[in-house]
Amino acid sequence: MNRRAAYAVAVAAVVLILGAVLSPGFASWPGLRAVLIVASFTGFVAAGQMLVVLVGGIDLSIPWVLNAAAIVLTTTGLGLADRLPLALALAVGAGLLAGLVNGLGVAWLGVPAVVMTLGMNGVLQGLTLGVSQGLTCGDCGHYAPQPLRDLFAGTVPAALLVWLGAALFVTVLLTLTTFGRRVYATGANPRAAYLSGVGVKGVTVALYTLSGGFAALAGIMLVGYGGQASLGLGDPYLFESIAAVVVGGVSILGGRGTYVGVIAGSLTLVAVTTVLRAQQVPEYGRLMIYGLVILAILFAYGRERAHD
Amino acid sequence: MRDLQDRLGYLVLAATALAYFTVYTTSLGRPPGSFDYLAILNTTMPLVLVALGQSLVVLTGGIDLSVGGVVSLCVAITAATGGAPGWIFAVVLLGGLCGLVNGLVVAYGRIAPILTTLATLSVYTGAALWVLPVPGGSIAPEVRAVLSNPNVPTGLGWLALAVAGWWVLRRTRFGMRVYAVGSDETSARAVGVPVERVKAKVYALSGLCSAAAAVFYVATTTAGDANAGAPFILTSIASVVVGGVAFTGGKGSAMGAVAGAVALTLVIDVLFFAGIDPLYQSLFQGLFLVVAVLLGTGAALLARRRAA
Amino acid sequence: MTVTATGVGRAFGGVQALRDASFAARPGEIHALAGENGAGKSTLIKVLCGAIRADTGTVVVEGRVATAFQELSLLPDLTVAENLLLAAPPRGRLGLVRRSRLADEAALILSRYGASGVDPRSPARDLAVSQKQVVELVRVLALEPDVVFLDEPTAALAEREVDWLAGHMRRLRDAGACVIFTSHRWREIERLADRVTVFRGGTNVATRDRLSEEEAITLMTGRTLGATYPDVSEIVPGESALTVTGLTSGRLREVSFELRRGEILGVGGLAGQGQRDLFLTLFGAGKPAAGRLSVTRATGGTAEPVADGRPSARAGLLPDWPVRLRQPRDAIKAGIAYVPEDRKAEGLLLHLSIRDNIALATLARRSRAGFIRHRAEKAAVSGIAGKLAIGAGRSTAQAAGTLSGGNQQKAVMARWLLTDADVFLLYDVTRGVDAATKHDIYHLIADLARDGKAILFYSSETEEIAGLCHRVLVLREGRIAAELPGPVGDAETIVAASIREPADA
Repeated sequence: MNRRAAYAVAVAAVVLILGAVLSPGFASWPGLRAVLIVASFTGFVAAGQMLVVLVGGIDLSIPWVLNAAAIVLTTTGLGLADRLPLALALAVGAGLLAGLVNGLGVAWLGVPAVVMTLGMNGVLQGLTLGVSQGLTCGDCGHYAPQPLRDLFAGTVPAALLVWLGAALFVTVLLTLTTFGRRVYATGANPRAAYLSGVGVKGVTVALYTLSGGFAALAGIMLVGYGGQASLGLGDPYLFESIAAVVVGGVSILGGRGTYVGVIAGSLTLVAVTTVLRAQQVPEYGRLMIYGLVILAILFAYGRERAHD
Repeated sequence: MRDLQDRLGYLVLAATALAYFTVYTTSLGRPPGSFDYLAILNTTMPLVLVALGQSLVVLTGGIDLSVGGVVSLCVAITAATGGAPGWIFAVVLLGGLCGLVNGLVVAYGRIAPILTTLATLSVYTGAALWVLPVPGGSIAPEVRAVLSNPNVPTGLGWLALAVAGWWVLRRTRFGMRVYAVGSDETSARAVGVPVERVKAKVYALSGLCSAAAAVFYVATTTAGDANAGAPFILTSIASVVVGGVAFTGGKGSAMGAVAGAVALTLVIDVLFFAGIDPLYQSLFQGLFLVVAVLLGTGAALLARRRAA
Repeated sequence: MTVTATGVGRAFGGVQALRDASFAARPGEIHALAGENGAGKSTLIKVLCGAIRADTGTVVVEGRVATAFQELSLLPDLTVAENLLLAAPPRGRLGLVRRSRLADEAALILSRYGASGVDPRSPARDLAVSQKQVVELVRVLALEPDVVFLDEPTAALAEREVDWLAGHMRRLRDAGACVIFTSHRWREIERLADRVTVFRGGTNVATRDRLSEEEAITLMTGRTLGATYPDVSEIVPGESALTVTGLTSGRLREVSFELRRGEILGVGGLAGQGQRDLFLTLFGAGKPAAGRLSVTRATGGTAEPVADGRPSARAGLLPDWPVRLRQPRDAIKAGIAYVPEDRKAEGLLLHLSIRDNIALATLARRSRAGFIRHRAEKAAVSGIAGKLAIGAGRSTAQAAGTLSGGNQQKAVMARWLLTDADVFLLYDVTRGVDAATKHDIYHLIADLARDGKAILFYSSETEEIAGLCHRVLVLREGRIAAELPGPVGDAETIVAASIREPADA
């Protein structure tokens, strides 16, 4: 774990302790459980965003990949448990496909990441809205199949285990495999990596594909949590994913960062919002404080090197 | 061919305008009249201004996500105060100040532009909600008559002013320095360009443009909404991209971005008159964005091939 | 004194680039700064011209200062004219810049300083390296400064342009300016400098009016070195390792040659005659238009010739080039290694660990189902790092950026030694490396040849090619203009062949 990730963990710890002091229910397991569940959604999208940021890219298509997956899930699953596997496969597949196209555009066609993923966001928005005809349904409630909703039941909800699994997957991938090495090498110096035999384009495509998959996963989990899909589901997660990544100590310039830090970043962001809500700070205050907290964290360990 | 890439914005605008004219005429059986042109001008002015500011920032190699927040905040204040002249002046000043804060943090705080403006976006949006918790407010009819008169083409004058502003800026030493910073920051510093000051000014100008855009927005819609600015983040970036300004900085022109902004607005009308389901609108906008950029890079590739 | 520095110290991160350094230069002299890479010359220049601040000590510089930086300060997207006139553009009424006048004014400046070959309308990005250097120098000269700092001004220049620069340096000196420059080429220091100050380890060790090369090397390294180049004449080249036929790529035109096992084949010629295209294309990173390459791999000591056109089991032979050698990965599989000149841009991943850097090209070999076998990797890396004495006992878990320049280059070499390649493409590998490391690298190359490796060697210092190679191909305008057999010995023969017009032309 690098220095910045350690800071990220420390900040998360401080925010959680502060929360425990400020609001009584916060330190209890139910309180913590709620924070963890909400943080897991940020954690999923941030996992994908982090992978892309590690090679100096960015994924702005997360909101509508998430929405599209959520809507694919509900419209193919129809709330029936026996259709769930098919629905899950289609939803995840849609995310992976969107990510794959992003990756191909960035790596092979040389479209800047901002443009490609922004365009993809628009394309998916149009497709989703058009095909689903705006998805205004009377009783969406039953659109989330029961097994999916059960993920959020119990003292230790299974959803958290899904997050743990995702965390292990990302961490193992990045630290123990040759692919992970190639990711960091590509992020640190793409030209040198290419001249050392790293298939830079292949790595890039794989990462964008994974990012699409993670956004879809977040969409699926949100459907299970909320019991239904709505069209604005993904909107907050564009900036939230970027914020979690940098608060987690990942360098926006690429080549540096760990998922442990990003988990801490996700927890920090969600805990700040939760505490402010518990303190009954109105929305405008929450937004302002949220921004200032990010700014303060950036000043603490998100600065670039001096010029001289 | 190099010229083609530089003039991408104008070419795209010309193509879109042609499409608009054709689609409108075939659909309504008569060519668009002055009323239609004026309506387009008035609805596009806010985006033109935001894109102008955004392009200045992108020319230095940065990005300004906080335009959304600045527009929201300024819309909120303008609408809440009814657009009294004194208040309009104050609003424009405030926009510049918001931008200056971004610039100072980016330049002297050494925090990546995308992260700085992500954080301040939250702060400014929060402030907007504080000023105007629920949509509403008003604008003085005199202001509306001067800025975006639906019957008299006053907007044309303001557009000319924006173009003239850029023309002058390009011919100041500051204008040259903007390109120098975007081209290679280290070298620019080495030959004596005050990089930090240039950056601070560029973000301040972007804030100023966003504030002006907000005033036009309220004048056109005759009411305010604390979330009015959010769509401008992505559309201003799209305008800059379609306008042929390179994300790496140093290449392109603000006029290209202005053309891009008009083209993006026209595309919506084209889709409307072509009878395309509005739900699919973003699909085509997304494709439009990616294709425009691919045309630009394709032209650059051809140029390089021909030169070799 | 126009320029005085007393007791200057400056650190970057943990590295002390300057410690208690003092320096003085007077008006009307050309003063050379000599020293190994990392001795502190560039840092001193940056401190003196105000680009960076000193941590300790005092600096006094009187008069108008202009600096040509080693890493060039041209702005790639601006035109030559904008670059030249950025500080003082021509203005019209209202003080606005007259953009229409920029090119004419710049053309005037370029011709005034004898560089009218450069198009002022061209973006700096499109210039050749030597042209960029010329524009950078014109930018500096046009300021008519009292104090001029030139950091490695001749690195990218051809002989003729060096003469041009020398003329300007002398003119400035005679006009009473103080000219301070650095160079890795001792001949230039001898020829141009009125005085020399030698740096070692971040501080000044001597200032002399006259200094012989041996003395200078002793002062710069703090020790005397033996014969510079290892004797390669007793290494006898074996059978063919690589055959190139009719290669056209970038600036290269129909180049054909054969490289043999145990042979060090030099590639000479003036700068920019297609050498870089040759190396990159052989490594799969170029865009060849035509040509054929066959590689014969050695397995377990015996040669295993592979029929042209058919992939071999172990590595693969590359029949029709554009099809098979599409990227460096293919070349690595075919047993080819490429060590680049610019280790920061093309070689190292500075903030990754030394181990990650060395292991990068051979990751797949020490992995099982995609998982890295960490113990095997550690052993392999420590082995090679120890053999090359990289980082003097430093842990290989530290960032590569903490290594000195010479050790960084050794780390890149180590990466390629691990690949067990048969063919080594060494492109200007000693550039910007200190004398001691250069010496180590020469011997490493000779050892590789002795082990039966085939080596293609290019250096911007022609003496190295003359001293180290069995045979030299001289490139001119992308074609092989001459082939010089045997150890050439002196650089002059190669240079002569580089500039002589072909007999039948």
